[in-house]
Amino acid sequence: MRKRLAAFIRTEPEGGPSSAGTSVFWILASSASGLLIIGWLLPWFVGPYDAGVGYSAQDALVSSPTGIGTILIYILAVAMVILFVSPFAEAFMRFRGRTFGPRADRIRLYLGIAGVVLTGVVWLLYRVLGEEPLFGSLQPGEISDSAIWLTMYGFALAALVYGARPWVIGRQTLAFGTAVLPFGIFLPLMFHQAPDFLLWAAGSLAIYMLLALGLNVVVGFAGLLDLGYAAFFAIGAYACASFASPIHNIHWPLWILIFLGAAIASLFGAILGAPTLRLRGDYLAIVTLGFGEIVPDLATNNVFNLTGGPNGISGIDQPHWGFMDFSESPRWYYWSLLLVSIAVIVLLYNIERSRVGRAWVALREDEVAAAATGINTTTTKLLAFAIGASVSGLAGAFYGSLVTVVTPDDFSFSVSIAVLSIVVLGGIGNIAGVILGAVILTFVIFWALPNMDAWSTTLSSTVHIPALANINFSSYTYIIYGLALILMMLLRPGGLLPSRARRIELESAGESESLAAVQGIA
Amino acid sequence: MSENGQPVVAIAADTTTVTDKVIDLRAIDVYYGRVQALIGVSLEVRQGEIVALIGSNGAGKTTTLRTISGLISPRKGQVLLFGKAIQGVGAAQIARLGVGHAPEGRRLFARMTVRENLDMGAYSRGDRAGIRTDLERVYTLFPRLRERDSQLAGSLSGGEQQMVAIGRALMSAPKVLLLDEPSLGLAPILVDAIFEVIREINAKGTTILLIEQNALLALKTAVRGYVLENGAVALAGPSEELIASPDIQRAYLGM
Repeated sequence: MRKRLAAFIRTEPEGGPSSAGTSVFWILASSASGLLIIGWLLPWFVGPYDAGVGYSAQDALVSSPTGIGTILIYILAVAMVILFVSPFAEAFMRFRGRTFGPRADRIRLYLGIAGVVLTGVVWLLYRVLGEEPLFGSLQPGEISDSAIWLTMYGFALAALVYGARPWVIGRQTLAFGTAVLPFGIFLPLMFHQAPDFLLWAAGSLAIYMLLALGLNVVVGFAGLLDLGYAAFFAIGAYACASFASPIHNIHWPLWILIFLGAAIASLFGAILGAPTLRLRGDYLAIVTLGFGEIVPDLATNNVFNLTGGPNGISGIDQPHWGFMDFSESPRWYYWSLLLVSIAVIVLLYNIERSRVGRAWVALREDEVAAAATGINTTTTKLLAFAIGASVSGLAGAFYGSLVTVVTPDDFSFSVSIAVLSIVVLGGIGNIAGVILGAVILTFVIFWALPNMDAWSTTLSSTVHIPALANINFSSYTYIIYGLALILMMLLRPGGLLPSRARRIELESAGESESLAAVQGIA
Repeated sequence: MSENGQPVVAIAADTTTVTDKVIDLRAIDVYYGRVQALIGVSLEVRQGEIVALIGSNGAGKTTTLRTISGLISPRKGQVLLFGKAIQGVGAAQIARLGVGHAPEGRRLFARMTVRENLDMGAYSRGDRAGIRTDLERVYTLFPRLRERDSQLAGSLSGGEQQMVAIGRALMSAPKVLLLDEPSLGLAPILVDAIFEVIREINAKGTTILLIEQNALLALKTAVRGYVLENGAVALAGPSEELIASPDIQRAYLGM
């Protein structure tokens, strides 16, 4: 039973070549379910003024159908339920050792396409005809644009995942990008009625993701453990804040500052790296840990009167380019960060596959052999440090401008650890994994953990257990966070989407462990 | 110096010029911390030769090769490659100068495929056409590797791993190839095959310095040999002479 469960969680018990590919499949399939259920229950999340598509269907169910809209909503509801249940049903079937045939996939493809079209039709009719002719005497409440968008996206995603299953499994990176990118681009439009907090959260997500992508170059690609990565983030953020705030009365535009931040941070990466990269493993980790402590301390002590001391630098400029007023709505930050993130991802993806990328892999595998094949080990490591640091400098430039204040506390050890957790949790050395890790961990840190108190209060009144409301979850934040990490590492030690090298390492570690057990070492 | 067709030079020091010495170690002392591993070792390898380095475990054979390829630097003495001193140049640069090293214990990149390992060998080269020709050459020398092309190096058998190690060293188009115990852990039939390939590589013009436990095989393959004992050169000379020497026969050939 335990073995079965483990095999189920790992999705590919025999360690087949496409186990990461099937992970992408599962992630996308359950995302489709998630979007459909959110589209259904949207009012639950954003307040009573918006009705989800499902709400209308529920209302329609209790009274008799009186308009064309109600019939359409009935059909939609059936498609939604089937597609929502699909991944769970499929997982259950796999658990029992069976699968659905290709016919089921085809049916779900048609359901998905029909869902997209029908949702669009309902929305158009609703806009053109209005509530009365569409639903008759029924009062379904306002159908919100966000609900329509989410529902359509959920249907489209389901159509993609089931309709092109071999492609999704075979070309996982491309499939993941295709599925997620439009969502990213249209997010501000989907929620144009919703408050800005969502875009703020997405902005901090993007910054954390950039940090994790940069750290992944150092830890994942080159195999150098860096425990003080926040230092480079701080250097980038402070450098850019100095050039775009009243503190020195310099006001450079953001698009110059992102390059400046990247350049300065990578310079410091090289400065720290040059004398220390001879060190290996644990020793390097300690040095970087020290560096990570020094930098915020220097900022606190207002070094050279540059950093503004414990209060940091405030009043950082927010750009205003024509109709793009960054201070008016976070959506401009959101789109800029999305653009920058995509550029960074494409760049890093290519670097990983370049000469330098191969040199990193060789270095990680065997330093002596790498040197013997003509790889300059010091330069190659230094490059990893510099590139990793430059990405965090870039993130720092955006961070300062987004929150308009930088203080030494923003770059504490816990930031380094959070970023490292994202990399490890997502999958060391795998760009797609790191992105997913960033999405999940920022979701947990910025949304789930802060909201636990409110949820427990709601839950306690629903199930009538008053004790639940008295638990102060916010004081257990780090315990819950830590437990989640431990559980994750036990279940999927290679991260959510392990890189190829990591997967092989884990497999061979399993072999040598069982070998040790055979020899009685256990 | 022509790359190809150089006949195997017989050992006649007075007839050769200075630049004919591909490797020239002059009285080098090498230490690991406080332990002295090499004591005044002098050794030379000339263009087109196969030279064997034999000796018991811990005699300093591997240390000698590591010194030549720059993985350790000598505390005293000089290392000359193609007549130029290379002190403090660094392993990467030495590899670029044309020294291919198939290190002890193969040291493959276990989690890369065979093909990726071979590609890593050509890391410091820019000529794509040349790389493709050399890859083809390696695959012709070791047809087995073509079959295992996309298999992970760590999952190969010992013999195949040795083929990859030699192949990887060849991919840098080395002028001189350092082979550290190519027969280690191989079945006798494979040992013969590997040595056949070593002769073939040499016939195409690559100079070879070879470490080998199997002293008889090594000396039969090489034109000259050096015998290391406790970090110093105990004997040196043409292979036939070494094979004929009673000391060598007793100590290394088991006759």
